[in-house]
Amino acid sequence: MKCLILKEKIEEVAKLMRIELDDHVVYLDRVQKMIEYFDILDEADVESEKLSVQELPIKNLREDKHIPYEERIIDTLKNYKGNYIRAPKMI
Amino acid sequence: MNLAISGLKYIEEIKNGNYTIEEFVSKTLEQIQKLDGKLHAFLSLNDKAIDQAKKLDKKIQKNEKIGACFGMPISIKDNICVKGTKTTCASKMLEDFVAPYEATVISKLKSEDAIIIGKTNMDEFAMGLTTEFSAFGPSRNPWNHDYVPGGSSGGSAVAVRALECVASLGSDTGGSVRNPASFCSVVGYKPTYGLVSRYGLISYANSIEQIGPLTRTVEDLAFILNIISGIDDKDNTTVDNKNEDYLSEIDAGVEGKKIGIIKEMIGDGADKEVVSATNNALKKFENLGAKCEEISLDMVDYSVAAYYTISATEAGSNLARYDNLRYGFDFPLEGFEFNSYISKARKNFGPEVTRRLIVGGFVPSAGFAGKYFLKALKVKSKLTAEVNEAFKKVDLLLAPTVPIRPFKLGEKIDDPIALFLIDFNTVTANLTGKPAISIPFELSDGLPIGIQLLAKSMHDKALLQAAYALQNTVHLPEIQL
Repeated sequence: MKCLILKEKIEEVAKLMRIELDDHVVYLDRVQKMIEYFDILDEADVESEKLSVQELPIKNLREDKHIPYEERIIDTLKNYKGNYIRAPKMI
Repeated sequence: MNLAISGLKYIEEIKNGNYTIEEFVSKTLEQIQKLDGKLHAFLSLNDKAIDQAKKLDKKIQKNEKIGACFGMPISIKDNICVKGTKTTCASKMLEDFVAPYEATVISKLKSEDAIIIGKTNMDEFAMGLTTEFSAFGPSRNPWNHDYVPGGSSGGSAVAVRALECVASLGSDTGGSVRNPASFCSVVGYKPTYGLVSRYGLISYANSIEQIGPLTRTVEDLAFILNIISGIDDKDNTTVDNKNEDYLSEIDAGVEGKKIGIIKEMIGDGADKEVVSATNNALKKFENLGAKCEEISLDMVDYSVAAYYTISATEAGSNLARYDNLRYGFDFPLEGFEFNSYISKARKNFGPEVTRRLIVGGFVPSAGFAGKYFLKALKVKSKLTAEVNEAFKKVDLLLAPTVPIRPFKLGEKIDDPIALFLIDFNTVTANLTGKPAISIPFELSDGLPIGIQLLAKSMHDKALLQAAYALQNTVHLPEIQL
């Protein structure tokens, strides 16, 4: 029963991520095995552990300014018009 | 001409005029031509390498200033951007992607006149441990072609061992430099987190990955680290190492150092030959004047689950950009329904990347984040505390790099948990940000076993000194190529 619920949830997440699960053995079964292995985390005595936060001093951040690039990166794309990238028309 | 020389010896030979850079580079390309059909270490080669070598030779003839690498042929894992060359991540998704900019490590190597000889094979987007997940076919172990070379930087390790380059750069997210280094018998390094800029490395799991060198000797590794390390304003996680010289005093030895053997990493899952090699390494350290003791790190048992939870979550975010708008295949521009368009684009990922993306979407999702992702972060935090505590008692930690010996191609590819456990001894350094090195140590039935050392953050120099001391006790038979 637990397996069925987990499979359903995995399928739901894959759908949200727009990933087609056309081969259930290759995708669903192995993903399920991976996630079931992660259940070992339940045994870790970490309830009282605080999450460490990686702090980044503001001085380490780059200045927010435009840096001109010597080449037209857009030229490396196939579909563009002027300075605009041509994205597919979606319906 | 002997291609089986170290990088430092190569520089000496060029300086002494014993041969030209062009001669060495030509010979290296011949070696690739001869062996790479079988080994498949490379995904692409630099067709301007000979011209670049000729230019450098002219500089030498004219007594002009030349960079410290003297045209040394270096290969680069195909997830590091080299301007104007294909950077595919061994994925169909990026099959035709030509990097429009240079990674910082590449700028630094080129400024010292290294020649980038080619881009090496890897598991797709660095997700794997055997190089079998490359979309362009696996690399093979040069010691026995039926065996995997390790991964994900498998092509880099193969190229260095098979004399197809002098050194290589890989990336290490959970052991991806050290694991193939161990399986192919080369030196592989995961620097302290932040020591080497990740600018230009195609992201997989930013919070734990580092670019690291693979070489034939520890001295070469220190030489390359001198060039590629240091603060970079394009990567705000880099740290200032004050231009530390990792090569000087490399022969300082380990007299009086305390070394802790990590008990959990030589447990039930480890091959007896690997455990025996580890005990031999400890004896050698003791003979060199070090004191060894056992150290227990409780959180190691949960480290693989924590690592895969965190890395998949970050991968889920990082790989979302491959939506076929900025990267990917050329589809016709008209007439797609939005969801099916994105699904069609995602199909260009191979099965392992797709699986990890799904895992990366699942473990931090509402209702599951507390059980998986947040708990993984807590394990990471507690493991770091345990390792920091251990380093109050000892100077270095020791373990086998991989708990098992190299295995045959296809043997474990369908068993995700068996593959997970190969990372058991390497992920601790990534989760805690510590530097770690794999040193070739023994051969068992003709297959290599590597020994891993870890040190405190930013104690990379002391780590290389200990690795050098161990290396000098090792005499492996020559590989038959």
